[in-house]
Amino acid sequence: MVNRSEFMIEARELAYYYPGEEKNSFPALSGINLAVSRGEYLALIGPNGSGKTTLLKLFNALLAPCEGEVLVEGISTVDENKIAEVRRYCGMIFQNPDNQLVATTVEEDIAFGLENMALPSAEIQNKVIAVAHLLGLEHLLHQPPHLLSGGEKQRVAIAGVLAMQPHCILMDEPTAMLDFTGRRDVIETVRGLNRDQGIAVIHVTHFPEEAVYADRIIILNQGRLVMQGPPEIVLSDVSLLHSLGLQGPAAVELAALLREDGFDLPPQLIHCRELVHSLCSLERKS
Amino acid sequence: MFIGTEKLTHTYMPGTPFANEALKEVTFDLSQGEFALIIGPSGSGKSTLIQHLNGLLKPSSGKVYFEGNTVGSNKAELFNLRKRVGLVFQMPEEHFFSETVYDEIAFAPRNLGFEESKVQVRVTEALEEVGLETRTLLNRHPFQLSSGQKRLVALASVLSLKPEVLILDEPTAGLDSSGRRNLYSLLTKLNRSKRLTVLICTHHLDEAAALADTVIVLQHGRLILKGAAKEIFSRREQLYQLGLGLPAVTEIMHGLSEGGMKVRTDIFDLEGARQEINKLKGRHVK
Amino acid sequence: MSRSITLGQYFPGQSLVHQLNPRMKLISLLFVLALLFSLRSYSGLVALFFIALFLIAKTRVPFRYFLRGLRPVLFIAIFALVIYFFFTSGGIVLLRVGFITVESEGVREGIFIILRLVTLVLFSLLLTLTTTPLSLTYGLSYFLKPLRYIGLPTDEVAMIMAIALRFIPTLMEESQRLMRAQVSRGADFESGSIFRRAKSLVPLIVPLFVSAFRRADELALAMEARGYRIGAIRTRMHEDTFFPRDWVVLAVALVMLAASLTLGL
Repeated sequence: MVNRSEFMIEARELAYYYPGEEKNSFPALSGINLAVSRGEYLALIGPNGSGKTTLLKLFNALLAPCEGEVLVEGISTVDENKIAEVRRYCGMIFQNPDNQLVATTVEEDIAFGLENMALPSAEIQNKVIAVAHLLGLEHLLHQPPHLLSGGEKQRVAIAGVLAMQPHCILMDEPTAMLDFTGRRDVIETVRGLNRDQGIAVIHVTHFPEEAVYADRIIILNQGRLVMQGPPEIVLSDVSLLHSLGLQGPAAVELAALLREDGFDLPPQLIHCRELVHSLCSLERKS
Repeated sequence: MFIGTEKLTHTYMPGTPFANEALKEVTFDLSQGEFALIIGPSGSGKSTLIQHLNGLLKPSSGKVYFEGNTVGSNKAELFNLRKRVGLVFQMPEEHFFSETVYDEIAFAPRNLGFEESKVQVRVTEALEEVGLETRTLLNRHPFQLSSGQKRLVALASVLSLKPEVLILDEPTAGLDSSGRRNLYSLLTKLNRSKRLTVLICTHHLDEAAALADTVIVLQHGRLILKGAAKEIFSRREQLYQLGLGLPAVTEIMHGLSEGGMKVRTDIFDLEGARQEINKLKGRHVK
Repeated sequence: MSRSITLGQYFPGQSLVHQLNPRMKLISLLFVLALLFSLRSYSGLVALFFIALFLIAKTRVPFRYFLRGLRPVLFIAIFALVIYFFFTSGGIVLLRVGFITVESEGVREGIFIILRLVTLVLFSLLLTLTTTPLSLTYGLSYFLKPLRYIGLPTDEVAMIMAIALRFIPTLMEESQRLMRAQVSRGADFESGSIFRRAKSLVPLIVPLFVSAFRRADELALAMEARGYRIGAIRTRMHEDTFFPRDWVVLAVALVMLAASLTLGL
């Protein structure tokens, strides 16, 4: 089926209440309208409990909306017959790398999704090798997952999703449990897939420094979408971020302090190098 | 020579084909009231090292000392060490088992064999130290708390031992930015007001770096660097080679310095950076 | 931490024994076990024992792993030896101490029994040391397949076993970490009466269960997210393949069994 809509994912008037929670008291999500374009890199930020993970699960058809609807490539996620298709289009990476690797070797884990698609063995093997090559995991193919580092585990999880040729990768705080190198490897891997293969990414993160690379940032708070826009607009709004208990990237925070001190800095600085550049040119002028 | 190790070596599963030397002749010491960070890529031996300081692991060779005395390997000495060196594991709220917050925090003092009246005093004090409202919380089920509160209760459940040294493994894992700031300001307060010696293992330097007096760098089980935070973080190239990053603010200062501005680069927090950059402005204004 | 926890007893290798099809290994083992119990002649048993030793040498698995596997049956072996030595009569009297006599027939039978037991364990170890637990699981589930017709979800059972194998090391690490976390809060799991010790396990068991359930929950989500659905048709990346050598091994085992049964060896 060809999706005629220009959007890869659409959420309309979406609301979700966890079972047992009263409809009126505190919905996990409510009134969400959101459309994700093909190949877009979206960062989702917000305090703990703001509904970020719930939104991802709705996109992957792990949860069904209580109100409104979610369309993935034009398919409603409540269509029982097409759930497999929705999940193939939207692969999901979870926070804890230990709890998402199913098989006893890396190779079989990457194959897991393809086995669920009931592809012939030879085709599975070819795809697994191709994906492992793309992500540089060949040397790990026969290792058991518990011997890998956190960053390696996350990249294996990405490979498992990638093997199914998704249109979008949903990531729930994928770097929260990783060291510096692991974080960098995972982010670079995903940015590469977004750039080179045109795969859309929805990236939930607690780290503002990871959100600066997005095409668009969405802020959720208490189940509602409170702001969205390009990173240089959203992340440079320090007062809004602070009011939600969030922080901007270091460059934004520092720029805000320096503006208070009378430095004439351009608005919308979000990258460290932009701030450095502006300060250096101020210095040269004086 | 308050707490430290001398030529500490630890081998997991010695004498088997799986033998793995996790620590190699590590020697370091901290003085009372010091605030130290241990950094290093995953698998560099950080967890193994801190577990020795708490008597959970016994050295394969070398020794651990506390208050100038070598810690023996008999039960009484190890128990005494654990009483005075508190260890907060990664994601400590996953170790909760009690029905109430009170019982959770009372676990440690009860293990010390205190009478219930004294246990109660310890629990109340510990909760106050972490800044939680005692009356409303004590009878709640620990699982009902928010993630930030859970982390604080976990911290209180170690502080109820009244330790002189507090060791934390990745204390902010899974917390959002307000949770992270809250925890670090609490640790600073405990360090300053109670002269508590604090030792933190972390991959996230942005919040932690500014607080540390001392930084210890491990790699492949060896102690590579130890020194004042200002000195260690000035070795930018070396840290990158070791697979470690720099705090974002420090990164900006390095950028400014490379861009020709005469600023110090041993600055880790926003306020410090603001003052340093303002000094330049002051000079220009004159 | 403990990166070294191994699954089952598997010892990695590239030998012929390692590479045999697991299903074939399982069936051949069954035949050999049957053979062991049908054998009545000393010479036949000794021959089989040496075949076991030959195969062990072939696997290149260090012999101490087999010795370690034999340790649990040591007690039974000594017990059997005592029974046979002292309570079987016949043959020449070898030793007489007070009212106890050891006669040659007893020694003969005692050694026969022990040799049979040791050979049996060695062959079983040949299977478990050279086959990954996962291929063993899939091998076993293949033989369970007929049970599908009486309503047993054999594919799901195989999946359950495979996941259990995958999570054994993770849960072992977890319980170790939990134990250390509670010990660092002053818990003592080693001293006191049995009742006290049992009680002291609560701080371990509760969080272990909580975490196992949370993991199970997350894993189920992760599996669903990757398109796993119960009852749906799945394929396998590595289908079992049979090579001539598999059939040869099976034939040898079968011939030995048949010979023993017909010739009464």
